[in-house]
Amino acid sequence: MTVVYTLKNVVKERLIDGVGFRLQVPNIQIHAEENIALIGHSGCGKSTLLDMLALILRPDTSDELSLHPVKGDNHDIASLWQRDRYGRLAQIRKQHIGYVLQSGGLLPYLTVRENIELPRRLLKLPDDESINSISKVLGISRQLDKLPGLLSAGERQRAAFARALSHRPSILIADEPTAALDPITAHKIMAVVMEVIRGLKITLITASHDWAHVYKMELRTLKQEAVVVNDGKVYQSSFSD
Amino acid sequence: MTQFSNIIRLSFRDYSHEWRMSGCFILALASVLAPMMILFGLKFGIVTTMIHELIENPANREIKPIGSGRYDDAWIEGMRQRDEVEFIIPRTRALAATIQLKSTSAKRIVSTELLATAPGDPLLVGANRHPQNYFQVILSQAAAKKLNVKPGDEIDASLARQFQGKRERVHLPLEVIDVAAAGVISRNVAFVELELLLASEQFKDGRAVEALGWLGNTGSLDGRTYPSFRLYARSIYDVEELVSELEKEGTRVKANVAEISTVQSIDQNLSVIFWIIACVGAVGFAFSLGASLWANVDRKRKELSVLRLVGFKGGRIVMFPVLQSCYTAVLGWLLAVLVYLAFEYVINVFLAPRINLDRVLCFLLIEHFMWALALTVVIAISAAVLGGMRAARIQPSDGLRDL
Repeated sequence: MTVVYTLKNVVKERLIDGVGFRLQVPNIQIHAEENIALIGHSGCGKSTLLDMLALILRPDTSDELSLHPVKGDNHDIASLWQRDRYGRLAQIRKQHIGYVLQSGGLLPYLTVRENIELPRRLLKLPDDESINSISKVLGISRQLDKLPGLLSAGERQRAAFARALSHRPSILIADEPTAALDPITAHKIMAVVMEVIRGLKITLITASHDWAHVYKMELRTLKQEAVVVNDGKVYQSSFSD
Repeated sequence: MTQFSNIIRLSFRDYSHEWRMSGCFILALASVLAPMMILFGLKFGIVTTMIHELIENPANREIKPIGSGRYDDAWIEGMRQRDEVEFIIPRTRALAATIQLKSTSAKRIVSTELLATAPGDPLLVGANRHPQNYFQVILSQAAAKKLNVKPGDEIDASLARQFQGKRERVHLPLEVIDVAAAGVISRNVAFVELELLLASEQFKDGRAVEALGWLGNTGSLDGRTYPSFRLYARSIYDVEELVSELEKEGTRVKANVAEISTVQSIDQNLSVIFWIIACVGAVGFAFSLGASLWANVDRKRKELSVLRLVGFKGGRIVMFPVLQSCYTAVLGWLLAVLVYLAFEYVINVFLAPRINLDRVLCFLLIEHFMWALALTVVIAISAAVLGGMRAARIQPSDGLRDL
């Protein structure tokens, strides 16, 4: 299967709430259409790793950090960071990566439809039925003309997934996307999202701190691979069986 | 270009979505700008109307010779050619320039001063016609009132002299072609063509005036000089220079220099005071706006990071607070202009009459409003660029973690 991400000896040091923190990624490969769950307790470095994968955080050092979002399209991300090619990084990010935040991250001054359309507008993609169809699948068709502040937490999260998927990225990154939801709603949303992702053949990388929840609700049901992050060290293993 | 138009759209949507916060920024700006505009309007209005009054009143531009001199036609013509001189005409001796006027509609004979006039005379700016010959006259309001005449009436003018031991009097019919505007001159004055003034002097000196059939000594008038003149500078700002140059020539003159200097001094002092206040206000405004925008960037870390996340470049993100600052600048300026206009109306319509001032106290020109707008936008953009650059430096990762 095609390798999407290759990380070798990637190191990032950060100061979080005045405390130094070091994330060390020895050797990880993420393949196309894989569903990866980053599991670890709060503050272990999951979000730091996600941000580096989303090209919004510069690694301090790395032997290799490369991205191959589609066949024949190879990007040496580490080199782009070293050469301060922020514009190119932004271009790759908006073209190939969708990102869902824990709180959705919808812009409060745009309607749900405008939020969903934003990545497509930036890529100058023509208007098509994809917005309506993805909204229908995610169950937010009736909320399209509302502002995010008028939606429930679950609806906001569905809208955030719709925005992240609207431009058909090859990679979807979600940082604890269901942490603020009740387990039933969370499961419902993830089930729908997984259906869309499988249909679109998207690589999914999510983060979660709830081991039991991940094990019971996600890994088994959604057939995910797990990458464990513990005290800044990253281990790749499988829980799927 | 797409990113730029998107940033314009998004920044405006955010600005209007947060209308309460935007309204506070606009009010804060207007509350600094409007008093400055009112202050400048008062300074400009008071000084401008004072200067305008000085300019309007020809008496303030008149330069009067002290005592008698000998000014020939060449000297008069030389002065007339100077750029600083609006009008000059000779005067004869005061005693020779007095005439007695009588009308059929008034009983009394009015002793009147003769002043030569010509087109362009600042004292007769509103006059429809000017005397073209010996038989036409424009009367001052005082003289016309005493003679009870109006334009079109005919009056009798008479001159008397002692000649060869006998008392002689000559009469001359004059047509009143106009009456000078009120306030121009308070004395009894008859504005006549220069030739009539000179004829009057000749007659009183015992010489003949052939054109009018007045008998007397005959002789050449070559090398004629005049003892005085009536001179008006083109503007009040030319008075001082003309006075200085005439005095250098040895001509002693007097003019309203002190009052002109007072107005100029008021203008300069008010300008200094205004600019001190304006500078303090502008610095305060720049700091206030800058601090607000700085804080605003902090408040918007999340939204700005999301924009970076969905693919906006850092340079475009700078435009977000800059554009919002421009909206604040334009709307704040607009509000300040409205507040200013309301105060201008109140001051000019209600306050000025209460302090017995029959003139505009407060006003600004269109270019003043445009300058205020330009300065406001420049200050706002300068302050916003600092905030914008800070916004651009925010790593999307940092902003997103603030969620």
